[in-house]
Amino acid sequence: MSSAPAMAGAARVCFAGVVQRFRVIQERPDTLREAFAHLFNKRTSYYNFEALKGVSFSIRDGEVVGIVGRNGSGKSTILKIIAGVYRPTAGVVKVSGKVAALIELGAGFHPDLTGRENIVLNGLLLGLSKKEIQAREQRIVDFAELGEFMDSPVKQYSSGMYMRLGFAIATEVDPDILLIDEILAVGDGAFQQKCLARIHDIRRRGTTIIFVSHDIATVRKLCERTLLIKDGILLADGPTDPVVARYEELLQQPVGA
Amino acid sequence: MRRSSGPKRPCNTLDGMPVRWDSAVIRGPSVKQLITEICRNRELIWALAMKELHVRYKRSALGFLWALLHPLLMMIIYTMVFSTIMRVSIPDYPIFLISALLPWTFFSQSLSYSVESVVGNGDLLKKVYVAKSVFPVAAVLSNIINFLLSLVPLVLLLIAFRYPFHWTWLYLPIPLLSLVLFTLGCSFFFAMTNVFFRDVAHILQIILQAWFYFCPVLYPLDIIPDRYHLLFRLNPLLYPLNGFRLAIYHGLLPSPQSMAMSLAGGLAALWIGYLLFRRYQDTLVYYV
Repeated sequence: MSSAPAMAGAARVCFAGVVQRFRVIQERPDTLREAFAHLFNKRTSYYNFEALKGVSFSIRDGEVVGIVGRNGSGKSTILKIIAGVYRPTAGVVKVSGKVAALIELGAGFHPDLTGRENIVLNGLLLGLSKKEIQAREQRIVDFAELGEFMDSPVKQYSSGMYMRLGFAIATEVDPDILLIDEILAVGDGAFQQKCLARIHDIRRRGTTIIFVSHDIATVRKLCERTLLIKDGILLADGPTDPVVARYEELLQQPVGA
Repeated sequence: MRRSSGPKRPCNTLDGMPVRWDSAVIRGPSVKQLITEICRNRELIWALAMKELHVRYKRSALGFLWALLHPLLMMIIYTMVFSTIMRVSIPDYPIFLISALLPWTFFSQSLSYSVESVVGNGDLLKKVYVAKSVFPVAAVLSNIINFLLSLVPLVLLLIAFRYPFHWTWLYLPIPLLSLVLFTLGCSFFFAMTNVFFRDVAHILQIILQAWFYFCPVLYPLDIIPDRYHLLFRLNPLLYPLNGFRLAIYHGLLPSPQSMAMSLAGGLAALWIGYLLFRRYQDTLVYYV
């Protein structure tokens, strides 16, 4: 089931003083003409924005950890660093085991390919081998409930169908670490329930889950430990209830306080 | 089984578990890394290349036949212009032409596809970790397949012209290999630079146009005055293209120096192109 030997309680994710700096570009030289213009007048047109300002934590195998914080506080950045999308500006990140990200469902679908063809392509992009995909195909098809749409190009799908297929593929990856970013707001009520049940299932198997959400009720239900991030700084890290209480307190304050 | 760890643990080890990705790891030698990346992602690269071909021909009535028709039609146009209107006196001009035109088309189409390959997948790269090199490699691979398909009209043409199949065809894998290496190197370079400056895609079209006339595809190198020969020999594409023409049209083998030049040019281009690509591949995601 898991690709790495599952030692109970071994660390899965380790962040040590992680800084992620983005250049926020005000007017990026998008063309050579602008680049030349910038050579002559050296005015910088960007500022450095630190999405994470030295974050340290470690997550052990089998933990289910929530991350809460306001918009723009750096939650998604943490997930993307774990997924390997960003290489941190400073600090050390170590991740062990297979990572699957439910960050944006259906990223990488090709509109002209059919659902079935996209299962293969998307599975390969998510790091499965062709053999593994073939073994999972039927389960993905069943879960997505797409019926005969399975063999139509995905450009004809509704956005709900798109999400369903994306979710079905991503959760079949059988990861050691599952990253979930605010994606349960998709589909109709019934399908949301099904997705949530699926996540509980994965959790029961002992998969490490890192869950980013503004939905406090779900965080309470799913996670025993929660990190609170504010403006790129880890404010609190501990059992969910007190951390979430502190987050709710924070929400009462005006933005920027 | 789930244990809550203290908020701050020392972070220098992952308790003996294999580390999948470590932000502090400095990458190994470039050629070795490229080979590892290609091997590890071979199924993905193949699927992406197939997707590209599939999408390219899907909505057209003739489908895959276009891969065969395109070079034939180009050849007919150039033959009409050069042997009928401009009266170039080269025996069997269509074969003379197509023997170098096919590899050239492979080169220019590969670049046209790969220049957009990273930018075009930008959305994906911002969400999922994928080795960035797979996109240019897949673009070139899809064009290799296209090129191999286009050998069918070449063979048909030779049969139609009752032109002999020289034994030197056996030599073709060498110029093909050099050409593929050279194309890959250029593809890495243009795919990467286009992320930072979108002008590159436009400039590339001009470069290709100029490069086409600079390569002896439509004409033999002999018609160039001697004093310019050195200039033409600086063109690394000359050697593989010449290899194709010598083997198919003239039935001759290139000189050992020419073979060496063509392979060396390919390897050098790949090395430089991939080195630059790798140097910036972690930065790409902020600009796509």
